[in-house]
Order: sequence, then C-alpha cells, then structure tokens
Amino acid sequence: MNSSCWIPVRVGALGAVMAGFILAASPAHADRVEKHFAVQSKPKITVRNSSGRIQVKAWSRNEVLVAWTNASGKSVVETEEAGNRVEVSTRVNEDGVSADDSKTDFEITVPVESELNVRTDSGNVTVDSVHGDMTFDTVGANLQLSDVDGYMVVKTIDGSLVCNRCSGKLEANSISGNVQMIQPTLDSVRVQTSSGNIFFDGSFLSRGIYIMKNFSGTIEVHFTSSDSFDVNATSLKGDVINQASFKPDTHGSPHTASKWGHSLFGTLNEGHAKVELSSFSGTIKILKRD
Amino acid sequence: MQCEQFERILEQQDDGALPKPALDHVEACEACRALSTDFYSIHDMALELGAEGIAPPERVWISLRNQLEAERLIHGAQAAPVASAQTSPGWWAVFQRPAVAGAFLGLVLAAASAVGYLSNFAQTAVQSQWVAPQQETSPVPSADSVFKEEVLTVGNDSIPGLQRQDTAVTDSIRRNLRIVDNFIAICEKSVREQPDNQMAREYLYGAYQQKAELLATATNRSMTGGLQ
Repeated sequence: MNSSCWIPVRVGALGAVMAGFILAASPAHADRVEKHFAVQSKPKITVRNSSGRIQVKAWSRNEVLVAWTNASGKSVVETEEAGNRVEVSTRVNEDGVSADDSKTDFEITVPVESELNVRTDSGNVTVDSVHGDMTFDTVGANLQLSDVDGYMVVKTIDGSLVCNRCSGKLEANSISGNVQMIQPTLDSVRVQTSSGNIFFDGSFLSRGIYIMKNFSGTIEVHFTSSDSFDVNATSLKGDVINQASFKPDTHGSPHTASKWGHSLFGTLNEGHAKVELSSFSGTIKILKRD
Repeated sequence: MQCEQFERILEQQDDGALPKPALDHVEACEACRALSTDFYSIHDMALELGAEGIAPPERVWISLRNQLEAERLIHGAQAAPVASAQTSPGWWAVFQRPAVAGAFLGLVLAAASAVGYLSNFAQTAVQSQWVAPQQETSPVPSADSVFKEEVLTVGNDSIPGLQRQDTAVTDSIRRNLRIVDNFIAICEKSVREQPDNQMAREYLYGAYQQKAELLATATNRSMTGGLQ
C-alpha cells in the first residue's frame, strides 16, 4: 500500500478520535451526577432547588451523597461543604430558561441524624427515615415525610403535606394545601391551612398539644376510647360532628360557649393532652377509630 | 477590657467616638475590630437609605388617596403625598432589595389594613347605612389591586432571570391571593355584621397576615427570579 492510500484512513481515524473528544466534552445532560461529602454526625444539609423532585433518605454512614439529573443541561448545581454543613443549590446560566429546562431532580442520602433545610418552588419533596430538625419552604411542591423524627416546620402556599408515622413536633402552614398526619406520634402539632383539609389519625400523647385550624376545609380527627385529652372545637359557620363521649372539662377555667357558631368543650378520660380545633366555615369531625 | 464589655459600649454609643479603653481594645482584638467595622457599615448604610427618600410608585399613592376619598376617610383634593418630582431617580434600585421591598410591602399592607379597619370602625360608630362603593363598578382601581399587580409584575422588565420563573409558581401565587382575598372579604363581612365576634376578628387578622406573607413570598420569588 502506498502512502496516498493511507491519507483517507488517517483522516478518518483522526475524525473518529476528534468526535470521541467532542462527545466526551459535551455535557451528558440527562446523566446522573453524584457527589460525596464526608461529614460527622448530625450534619446540616441545605437544598435550594426551584423546580424538580427532591428525595431525601437516610443511611447509617457518616456521609452525604447528593445525586442529581438535569435533563436539559441548562441548570447548574452548586455544592458547598464547610465543616459539618453541606449546601446544594441550583441556578441557571442564562436568561429565558423555562421551568421545565431548569428542572433538576435530586436524590440525597444523609446520615440518619441530620438537620434538613429544603427550599423549593415546584416539584415534590419526600423525606424518609431522617431524624433531626427540618424546615421546608415551598410554593406548590407537595411534601411527604415518612418515619421522620424531629422538629418539623413546613411552610407552603398550595403544596400538601402527608406525614406518615412522624414523631416529634410539627408546625405546618399552608393556604390551600391539605395536611394529613397518619399514625403520628407527635407531641406538638400546630397546623394551619386556609382552604385545605386537615386529617389526623393517631395517638394524642400525654402532655401533647394539638392545634389545628383552617378556614373552609374539613378538620377530621380520629381517636380511640383509651385516648386522654381535653378538646375545644369551634366552627364559626360550619358544623362540629362528634362521636366521643366527653365529660365536662374539669381543667382550668370553665368554658362558656360562644354565641357565634358551634362549639364543643370536653374531656376524654383524664384529659392529658390538649386538642384545639378551629374552623371558620369548615366542618370539624371528631371520629372514633374503627 | 473584655469583648463583652466592648460590645455593650458599641451598642450603647450613639454617634460619638468610642472611649479610649474601647479604642485600645479594638486595636488589639481582631474580632471586635471586624464587629465594629460591620456596625459602622450598617449604620452608614441606614443613613444612606434614609437620605435617598425611598418612595413607592406614584400610582400607588394616587390609588390609596382615591380609595381613602372614595371611602370618605379624607376629603377634598389633597395633594398626593409624593409627587413624581420628588421621586428619587434611584428609588427603583433600592426597591429591588428584598429587605426594602419587604418593608414597603409591610407599609402598604398596614395602610390597607388600616383603611379596612378604619372603614369598619367608622361604619360601626355612626351606624351609617352608607355602603362602600363596589370595586367592580369603581372607575378607580383599588390600592390593593394596583399593589397586587405591582408585586406580581415587579421587575419583569428589569431583573435578569425573571423570565425563567415557573409559570406554575406565578399561577399558584395568583390563585392563592384570590383565595386569601376572598377570605378577607368574608371575614370583613362577618366583622361588619357581628362586631363583637372575636373569632371572626381573629380570622380576619389571620387572613391579613397570610396575605402579607404571600405577598412577601411573591416578592421574594420575583426579586430573585426563583430561589435565593
């Protein structure tokens, strides 16, 4: 073979190599990216993501694993680690990027005992088995907490909150989102929503305080006959439906029913917990668990 | 001198110079020197902000004035509190600072609340049969609606990155503003009909508070084109 025959082969090979380089240098947008952070126990993790799903789960390692995908490649994820603090945030590099393009999905694995700070606009947030204080600030994102324990503060505009087997203290504030607490072992509940519904199906712990308030939705509370709590339920324009056999409240000053709306005061068993239910025009239901 | 003592002196001193022991301490202590520098920076910035004469858009004042006149809380052709000539050319840049915007939001909401309460109070006091003009039929947009529009469009043309704002988020904020406004209207009606209904008053107060928080969230999201 003479040298002239080699030229096309060499050009072809060079082209293939260059194409390989170009492919390697291009961001593989939909690819999953991972970052590991070595932490001590009880790290503080902050996540700020405007759009996209955020899943947080726990493991037994002293390490935070942050994995994300951004399908469009137009969103940049920035991470910062300082001491026992890890911060993750997204931003877009150019103007005019749509919400869909800036959407970034996160899977974050943290030590069981971790403090969480999550701020997002849209996209659902799920947290599993993390024990530590948590704050969530969302606009439309729904939030699902499962088997978590700590002081949880939730602020959302129309996102809903589902709390499965949550322990500790819960403060939640929403305008049109629903709040559900299923099998909770919470000793402090302060939940407020305007047009959303509130559902509580769990135990009222001794010394616990449970305040649930809405404007127009339904408040539904389930109890067992062995529960021990004082109740004060008032709906200004709606009904109060009660299946409990309350006796008059013997704690504190005697209650006088307001001349406005429907009220119910009473004590079940010793009245160890305190339950306050309030609605403007919604229905309050105090139902016996099957 | 200990750092704690220095901090107390720093807090208590007005505009005068620090006493000599404090000056000696600040020379020797790096942390207190940094604290002192920050303190003076904040102080100077506060003075600058005050000197800039921050003013909201004229149409907000005009609208507020019209609303007050319409509700007969003020009379006659009073001059708008802020004329355009008085508006500092740099006010918009200042307004873009979330803290200042938040304060502005608070002021306007407080004004709106005061208008509502004063209106209710006046109506209750004189047992007047006069009915406030319906917003739908009024040729003048209410201060509230102007302000709402202001908040939701703030910086649309001037803040880079706003275009990427999620329309679902904007829709959500608008939808929830309508919900809260509706609650405010219902609560106000209840309070007017039952002035001694404390629970209705509490709900009205809560709805105003919720609206303030919602507007603050809207401003914050608009200001930053998303999250900050």
